[in-house]
Amino acid sequence: MLKMLASMNADDAVFGHFGAAAGYALAARRAMYEFGTGPETWKHIAIGQRKWANLNPRAVMYGKPLTEEDYYRSPWVVEPFRRADNCLITDGGRAIIVTTVERARDLKHPVVSIMGLGMHNPSAEVTVASHLTGPTGAKEASEQAFRMAGISREDVDACEIYDCFTYTVEITLQDYGFFKPGEGRDWFSGGTIEPGGRLPVNTSGGLLAEAYQMGLTPISEAVVQLQRRAGKRQVGPETGRKNYPEIILCSDNGGILQTHACYLLRRM
Amino acid sequence: MEKPKPHVGPDNILFWEGCKRHQLVFQKCTSCGHVRWPPSHICPLCHAFATEEVVSAGRGKIYSYVVYHFAYHPALVEELPYVVALVELEEGPRILSNIVGENLSDLDCELPVELIWDEQGEIPLPKFRVRRP
Repeated sequence: MLKMLASMNADDAVFGHFGAAAGYALAARRAMYEFGTGPETWKHIAIGQRKWANLNPRAVMYGKPLTEEDYYRSPWVVEPFRRADNCLITDGGRAIIVTTVERARDLKHPVVSIMGLGMHNPSAEVTVASHLTGPTGAKEASEQAFRMAGISREDVDACEIYDCFTYTVEITLQDYGFFKPGEGRDWFSGGTIEPGGRLPVNTSGGLLAEAYQMGLTPISEAVVQLQRRAGKRQVGPETGRKNYPEIILCSDNGGILQTHACYLLRRM
Repeated sequence: MEKPKPHVGPDNILFWEGCKRHQLVFQKCTSCGHVRWPPSHICPLCHAFATEEVVSAGRGKIYSYVVYHFAYHPALVEELPYVVALVELEEGPRILSNIVGENLSDLDCELPVELIWDEQGEIPLPKFRVRRP
């Protein structure tokens, strides 16, 4: 195990550097310097998503609310990330069935279709990367997806964002254009992404609070929400909004912000 | 418990052999002048093959840094908390290393740093400390 850890991290391990949390923490620290983000912004993400998880009996963090005090008391892992900024580690499995619309119409549940897809992969190693504080691949990928779908940001009813760390949610939504660099603190405050908020985000609790099923956590939740099968956490009248969602934006990303996929799903 | 050691191979032998002589050695493209890191056969900017060696003066600034409060490797428990940083050298390359001997609360991006050598292992490790005027 130790041999594997050391070899997978190559010569980074010589300087005590391992894995994803620290890589994203390097990006997040630079973002604190460049556009003034930080725990004041990220706490809204951790707390908001935990509220969603507390409406989801299948979430790992169900029954474990997170207050602002809890967030600040959460121990450092790799500073500037506290434990509450980190996603879970979860054994499990998920599947998405992709078929033709004709075939899907014969199945039990409402059809959810793919409106648009985009991918963009800056790829560069964290040591040489210039994209750690944005634009990450999210910008170009979302432009592709919106172009293909023929819709704009204002048409999106909810987002399911790949949230390996709190900062990933901020930089992704920032690169998607929901707010300008550094304006995340204001944008997230006041419960924007929470149940009943202006733009529900990560409505299962996400990777931070439901389960780490990689890119399947966002996509499976988007499908369940659009099919109106989400129970107490259903976006719509169940959680203080007038309408049920018609269009949900999802993301996935890999490496240290090195790859990005954006997809738009709609209820047919 | 032994700390992780450099994996010296064909790609990085120039770098680690340099460290043994207390020199931070990089490849410089003889065609476009780009000083590159990590090592590679071909210049990532102009795709030329030929290189010459340059020795860094060992000065740079902190591009970003993190503080480890958790030991991913048991040999590092006693080092906690320690600082891993991306150091941008004056010659251009940005390398991963440690910042030593600094109050954690005084650290920031863009602080000037200078090279020091950590002699604890078989190969001296290039580390950095904050450069005071």
